[in-house]
Amino acid sequence: MSRTDSAAPPEANPKVRPPRRGGDGPLGFVRDSVVMAWRWLVRMRTALYLLGLLGLETLLATVVPQEPNVGATVDAWRTGEEGPGTLVAGLIDLVGGFDVYGSPAFLALLLLLFLSLTACLIPRIRAWVRLVRHSRPPLTRNAGRQAVVARLTTDRDVAEVHQAAADLLQGKRWRVRTEDAATTNSPPAQVAAEKGLWSREGGSLLFHLSFYVLLAAIVFGQLLSFEGQRAVVEGERFADTPVSYWTYRPGRWWNETSHSGWILDLDQFHVDWVRDPLAPGAGQPTLFRSDVEVTRADGTTETTVIEGNRPLVIDGMKIHQLDWGYAPLVQVEVDGQLVYEDFVTATLTDAGHFRAAIKAPAADPDIGMDVFFYPYAPDNEAGEPVPTGAPFADAPLLLFQLFRGDLQLGRTAQTINELDTSQLDTTGGAWIREGAEVDMGEGVVVRFVELRRWVGFQVSARPQIPYLLLASGLLLAGLWPALYAYRRRLWVVAERHPGDGHTLVTVAGRAFQRPQTFDDEHAGFVERLADRLDASPLDADESSPATSVAAPAGDQGPGATP
Amino acid sequence: MSTDQLADLSRVLYSPVTLLLYISAAIVCLYSLTTRVGLATGRSGKVAGANLQPVGLALAWTAVGAHVAHEVVRGLAQSRLPLGNMFEFTSLMALVLAAGGMVYLTIVRKRPELVGFVMLGAAVVVASAMLTYAAPGPLMPILDTWWRSFHVSVIVASAGVFTIGFLFNGLHLLRDTAERGLAEAIGSTPLPAGGAGEASDGPLATMTAEEALAGRVAPDEDHDGTGLPVAAERGAMRAAISPLRLAIGTFLGASTVSWVFVATPTATLGDGLTRALTINLTLVALALIARWFVPFLPQASILDGLAYRTIALAFFGWTFGTIAGAMWAEQSWGRFWGWDPKETAAFLTWIAYAAYLHARATRGTRGRGAGWIGLGAFAVLMFTYYAVNLVFVGLHSYAGLS
Repeated sequence: MSRTDSAAPPEANPKVRPPRRGGDGPLGFVRDSVVMAWRWLVRMRTALYLLGLLGLETLLATVVPQEPNVGATVDAWRTGEEGPGTLVAGLIDLVGGFDVYGSPAFLALLLLLFLSLTACLIPRIRAWVRLVRHSRPPLTRNAGRQAVVARLTTDRDVAEVHQAAADLLQGKRWRVRTEDAATTNSPPAQVAAEKGLWSREGGSLLFHLSFYVLLAAIVFGQLLSFEGQRAVVEGERFADTPVSYWTYRPGRWWNETSHSGWILDLDQFHVDWVRDPLAPGAGQPTLFRSDVEVTRADGTTETTVIEGNRPLVIDGMKIHQLDWGYAPLVQVEVDGQLVYEDFVTATLTDAGHFRAAIKAPAADPDIGMDVFFYPYAPDNEAGEPVPTGAPFADAPLLLFQLFRGDLQLGRTAQTINELDTSQLDTTGGAWIREGAEVDMGEGVVVRFVELRRWVGFQVSARPQIPYLLLASGLLLAGLWPALYAYRRRLWVVAERHPGDGHTLVTVAGRAFQRPQTFDDEHAGFVERLADRLDASPLDADESSPATSVAAPAGDQGPGATP
Repeated sequence: MSTDQLADLSRVLYSPVTLLLYISAAIVCLYSLTTRVGLATGRSGKVAGANLQPVGLALAWTAVGAHVAHEVVRGLAQSRLPLGNMFEFTSLMALVLAAGGMVYLTIVRKRPELVGFVMLGAAVVVASAMLTYAAPGPLMPILDTWWRSFHVSVIVASAGVFTIGFLFNGLHLLRDTAERGLAEAIGSTPLPAGGAGEASDGPLATMTAEEALAGRVAPDEDHDGTGLPVAAERGAMRAAISPLRLAIGTFLGASTVSWVFVATPTATLGDGLTRALTINLTLVALALIARWFVPFLPQASILDGLAYRTIALAFFGWTFGTIAGAMWAEQSWGRFWGWDPKETAAFLTWIAYAAYLHARATRGTRGRGAGWIGLGAFAVLMFTYYAVNLVFVGLHSYAGLS
């Protein structure tokens, strides 16, 4: 491959790339493909297309319900109960639209994006390092022809002017180069300075590099984090052991011995609402607070509270209060034998009441109960309860439907608050007040002993958080200079006027970005230099910023390499 | 004063007081823009309406003041920062749009003549907040934390600055089209130098010699001097933008977001259609007004620069606000990022504006291409704001509507 001189006329440069060195055959083909793919990836336009694709995927994820977030809605879309119908749902499923961020298409796109980013960054980093290490401000041959020019006259001599200019510029952290005219053919004696040389491009590089830190932190977190959930009824306790969680989601490398075994006692849960139906925001909750006592692994205890925005940190684990509900204590007796006694963790529905299921496999045949809990169901004149959607437990009412048969526990997929009624027969329903009992016939007695509340706690360990914060910090630290730093050059050329003995000072400048801002900076520098030298502007018209005749209008974007 | 009185006062301060002030400031500022390159010289030799700019700016500052007063009174009425529901977000967005635009145009960039467009935009955003009006009330306890004030104000302020960028972007595209049209008109029509009124078949053929002569005034600082009489130049610029295409395009573009009001589950179909149509037609009217003002605008490249600077600032704010949101989510929901619809949409907005910034740095898409991407990105922002609050169910469904 012959090198061509970039200063030579374009005809001397070949229009086509020189033939490859690798030769033919399968290896050469592979090599060619890789080179072509790399060249395609390096192009800015490719990055734009990939960003557009990422945008499309994200739009899909915004519009279509996502399985990890709202699994029930996705099921309803698939069966056609909700959404645009089964056909569309099938199409969405085909492209993995119900779990966009877990789909192979997204992973492939992410890989391409990072490849493209890498391909773009490698040459840019090399160029940047070269620039930072080796560049020095270029000299100007004709300062008067630069974009912004101001002229001053002073009595000081040339060296003094150059010294003052260099001092001022160095004080403002410019790269300064003072040059004396050596030969007649070289540029005139001058102070050349440059600023913003590495900050803009460097910021852009830092911004883009922070994505690698972000990605690494996310992957690290997927492997090493832990998250578990558990509902705790008031007055009960919960110990941190792997088996005590209701949902347990460890990362691949999470070590079960990392549970230190701390204990949490939920003393009381406070909840309140705006109860005045005429007040603004009527019915809105005003308070969620858990009073807890924690016992750490080392035996120390502490009484504290957990609130919505105040998670509790014990032994490196964060405990959030995520959910709550009413927990009526229900007893079921068959022929005088207690077959069920437990707090039922009823969860809030959209209609304002709470739902739960009671499963008593100890009875024969099994007993299942579909439970509706109404916190506020006052009696009407006839003495019958009127269920309302109000959430405060001033007149609690338990409504239930009793089922007998086979609960199919462990054989069909059913959640804790859901009955599989396919093998169950209903034997009627009833309502009970707190402290009362009802005889359902066939020797079945249901008792609503007392009412408490339960709180859903989430326990999590996320060792990746500091690294995520680091990545965010780098991202922002890089973004600001990438958008706002600008590269500019200044020249101060002083010449002794042979006639009247004055020194003519030309302050010329040129900005690669943000020309208007540079105009102000240039004017400010001219003013300070004039102060320092007791100089006066040569003519007012030319020293004003309005002389920016050829200043490029508008700025270049963050990735522009001048 | 009782809470109810304060609430009433805040409402009156918002609409009609603030709204009308924004509208009148917009009218005065836009009118004064037309007098800068004055065709209508009065008998006294002074350009008619030349003194209107300070009046317009004073009105604009008064409007901003009234808006701030509204925010303060509303805050007092509910004894919390007014950052809790969609009405309050939109209101703050309009305030940032107006105040930010004023500061940027009058103090930073010294282009006070463009304030009228910012006022017009603020008036529309203020009016649009009435679509989601909610009386002052208490906060959900989960929102009652300084994280909310922090995250929400940064995000909402960024949205306001993005809106300024959108205005400049739209004006940039209009002006760019007009400049291209003008260049074509000059290319196809003989310049009426010397023999004004000569028969020609371009858009200038209808001009009489008197008009051509009377139109010659000193060029404006931005006026690049095409050699055409000013009236003819204005005509050629406006003619370059087909009003029908502009109207249809704006209508369709606005529909990408306004369909949300039709699809809102809490509103009736007729109500939603009325809202969507109102939004679309308002934007069409604004686009047509902007088309009329195209000859008075600065050069397209300057508008492009203004759009870039504002969007760059807002992009930084948006990034910061999104990170703050993730930090709050870790504190409040126990996970920093869960692809909740709002989080996904915020990410989508971020991608869209990142694409704008990259397009502006890419040869081939710089200028018009980037401008279109910027308009699309704003549609995405509005989609994020309205659709995800009103239509898609998620943790951020905080519109405060019932």
